[in-house]
Amino acid sequence: MISDNDRKTPVEIAVARHRRWWLAIVVLILLGLVYYLVFVNQYVVAFVSPKDHFMHGSIGSETATGPPYWVFKALPVMYSDKLGPEGWGRFGFLYEKPDDDLPIGVSRRVVSGVERVWLNCSVCHVGTYRLPGDPVRHLIPGAPSNNLRLQEFISFFIDVGRDPGFTADALIATIDSPKVGGDLNIFERLIYRYVVFPRVKSAFLDLGTQLDFVKRQEQWGPGRVDTFNPYKALQFNFPMDEAHISGAALNGSSDYPAIWRQRPREGMNLHWDGNNDSVAERNLSAALGAGVTPVTVDRASIARIEGWMWDLPSPPFPVADRIDQAKATEGKTLFLQYCADCHGFKDASGYSYDRQRFTRLGKTVPLAEIGTDVGRWTSYTENFAAEQNLLYAGYPWRFSRFHKTDGYANHPLDGIWARSPYLHNGSVPTLRDLLEPSARRPSVWSRGSDEFDLAKVGYRSDQSAGGDLFRYDTTRPGNANTGHEGYRYGTELPDAAKDALVEYMKTL
Amino acid sequence: MHPDSQYTHADNAAVIFNELTFRSLRVKNRLFRSNISGQFDDYNGHGGHARLNWEEKFARGGIGCIISSFTPVSVRGRILVRYAMIDNDDKIPFWREVGNRVHAYDCRFIMQLSHSGRQQDMGGVENLFNKGLSSTNKSDYFHGLLAQAMTKPEIAEVVEQFAQGARRARQAGLDGVELHGANGYLLTQFLSSGINDRTDEYGGGWEGRARFVLEIVRAIRREVGQDFHLQMKINGVDHNDWLYPWIGKGNTLDETVKICTMLLDGGKGVDSFHISSGSTFPHPRNPAGDLPLNDLHRWYDGMLSQGTRAPMNYAIFSNPILGRAFQALWRWRRGKVIEGINLDYARAVSEEIGKIAPDIRVLCTGGFQHADRIADAIRSKACDGVTMARPLVANNDLPDILTRQNGPEKECTYCNKCLLNDLENPLGCYDLSRFDGNSFEERYDRMIKQVMSVYEPPTFQ
Repeated sequence: MISDNDRKTPVEIAVARHRRWWLAIVVLILLGLVYYLVFVNQYVVAFVSPKDHFMHGSIGSETATGPPYWVFKALPVMYSDKLGPEGWGRFGFLYEKPDDDLPIGVSRRVVSGVERVWLNCSVCHVGTYRLPGDPVRHLIPGAPSNNLRLQEFISFFIDVGRDPGFTADALIATIDSPKVGGDLNIFERLIYRYVVFPRVKSAFLDLGTQLDFVKRQEQWGPGRVDTFNPYKALQFNFPMDEAHISGAALNGSSDYPAIWRQRPREGMNLHWDGNNDSVAERNLSAALGAGVTPVTVDRASIARIEGWMWDLPSPPFPVADRIDQAKATEGKTLFLQYCADCHGFKDASGYSYDRQRFTRLGKTVPLAEIGTDVGRWTSYTENFAAEQNLLYAGYPWRFSRFHKTDGYANHPLDGIWARSPYLHNGSVPTLRDLLEPSARRPSVWSRGSDEFDLAKVGYRSDQSAGGDLFRYDTTRPGNANTGHEGYRYGTELPDAAKDALVEYMKTL
Repeated sequence: MHPDSQYTHADNAAVIFNELTFRSLRVKNRLFRSNISGQFDDYNGHGGHARLNWEEKFARGGIGCIISSFTPVSVRGRILVRYAMIDNDDKIPFWREVGNRVHAYDCRFIMQLSHSGRQQDMGGVENLFNKGLSSTNKSDYFHGLLAQAMTKPEIAEVVEQFAQGARRARQAGLDGVELHGANGYLLTQFLSSGINDRTDEYGGGWEGRARFVLEIVRAIRREVGQDFHLQMKINGVDHNDWLYPWIGKGNTLDETVKICTMLLDGGKGVDSFHISSGSTFPHPRNPAGDLPLNDLHRWYDGMLSQGTRAPMNYAIFSNPILGRAFQALWRWRRGKVIEGINLDYARAVSEEIGKIAPDIRVLCTGGFQHADRIADAIRSKACDGVTMARPLVANNDLPDILTRQNGPEKECTYCNKCLLNDLENPLGCYDLSRFDGNSFEERYDRMIKQVMSVYEPPTFQ
């Protein structure tokens, strides 16, 4: 029997009750705080320099798409038989310094208490070159990537997802191995076993389902991307089976574009086919390609990058003293005569993007007239444009300017030396080749070297060039090197005039 | 005294020291000691010799009438222990002696019949397991003192306790009784629209809320007849929202006037009204003055076991920033006026009641200690007399001083240290700045001597 000789007073009972309520409230607040700090708030490494931010800063792609950091670190070790000692470099990922933890274009963000990594803008927009006889690889932030093998990268994840050997045990063992150095504690191992791994596995399998069509595509090769077909599948669940997409639309791989000097490009028809004239919309759309979603996009981060590339100067030709000024002067006259109306012009006062003066600059040229490969143009459909214009519905930054065009757009040629290969699909290795009729352009050539041909302006395309080479066959769907030829395009000029034009274009 | 006043001190003194007649009471001047007390008595509510000394010194100082300290009509209605009660006939001899002591100075003595309700600061060990009887189950919002809404039998019981208290006061030879219906005690808890949340006939509109007091008035008249002075202390305005602006404001002046009219009970009810304000105790308007943080920190600890919010209050008072902030709130909610803070309320009651019953008198409390202010208040017909407590604690002979001059040399500073010390120490003036001396020790010795004077002469000599 409980003694009633030491009863609590009503005040003590009330205080104890209040205390329990307060305790419950405090515990709830603390739980809420922990929930917010761990599961809601995201932690991003910030970079002071806009360029560093471009190279390594997060744009929000990790939240929905990115694998955990330790998974990203473990995969090259688990699949060293496929990736070899290069690791992610096998897919053309670049490292600023050899001992860098993550490659350029892979950013990190802590989401729901787990550090995750994924792609940012620079993965597709950092180019490289080596001068003849010089083993040093130079990076050009803002230039089109000439190394990234995105298709193979995607296929790798699909394969991993389908690999029976990709198990929680194997993953955790690899993370904890000395080569990766994860050293997970017991709680982390539990989280990885029961939360992280199942989600990663599921995400890879889903990726394989959604992007199954990729294996039906022609190989993109290094430095090329099919911009819109994965976009259709991932963002809008477009059916991508053979009954719903033609062979032409399926193969629209293109070179990455350069992203410098965006300010004068505002209002021009952007993208290869000119389907949007707003730099901001183009950027936000491109970020979707890197893995952000309309929900996870870090608009502030993208705005920083946008501000940086607004006036980012185009890179000067790396060996200016090798430019024959007399020939360049001659080429300048020819350029003004043949090229400037579509591409603008550069003289002593700088590059002119004046669309009043150069009336075709920033406008599209109908397919029949330009004659280049139709794959890229075909892959962009009116239905797709309509879907794009529904993205971010309800927000001030909702897309509104996407539209289907009749051809390909004329762009300024500032820094054109650093944008090889040429034409939208990268089918012509050098500027000099581009000035030849298509029949005299290389039909099968090697793509993937970043060794520079200073005379013809472009990466070396012969089989003895250094690097991980890809056989580019211009007869394959989407790879045609036709078009941009004829009298109007200078391909009927004498060789000396073509040489002069190339010389001048080194100065752009 | 204002230099431009059209009245001389002699004019003022003539007004103040003019006899005041009630229906059943005559007072030699217009100065009343308001209810204030220390814990001078036996724990069980029997009076002690210190209270005799305490009351006598004010009579000696020239006060016209003393209103007793808070005098509980039952042990359940205490606010603090060691306060003399009137809960039993065995208390009558003590109160008779009190009456005798003050009558010797031609001073009248009115017993304040009181009940704490929920506002029971330290109810003593007898009340340890009781919640305060009240009109509501809601606890007091300042200290968190627990409350229990009274049943109708409990209401009837308390009505009778008041009636018997009045009977005892008359039997003790005292000169009248006052119902403490102000400052948050039980009667306020029924009267105030900010506190009374009853849905029966004792709640609702002002008539319902005043029913409990009217029943007490009628029960008292049943016991003491019509020729025994009965007055009502009541809030002019409740200002119930001083601490939490979102809670009910309580009674307005208009409601108070209506309640007062009702309590006249057709000429058979109360004989006078004593106007105060503030529906809690303490309240920024009562006692109007400052909030001494050091004393709060030192002496409020006794409340920690009494109210559910007292620990939070103590933490606030003890915090250098929050304590200052609370003190600033206190001053802001009080306003700038201290002396005569309730005068406008008293004027409104005087005017309205005067139209109905010209023989009903109105007293006003609130910091009075200057002859010109008191005389002006009476001359303007805002009230017929003033009540005072802290100025008399500071200067026990203030009435005699006012016969000679406008105010005392060392005025009450309204510091309210007397109020805070009462929780644990003998009542007296604890404002060291008012005591002469060349050092702290000298002034402190004089202060303690003054405080302890209430124990002189001792019980046994």
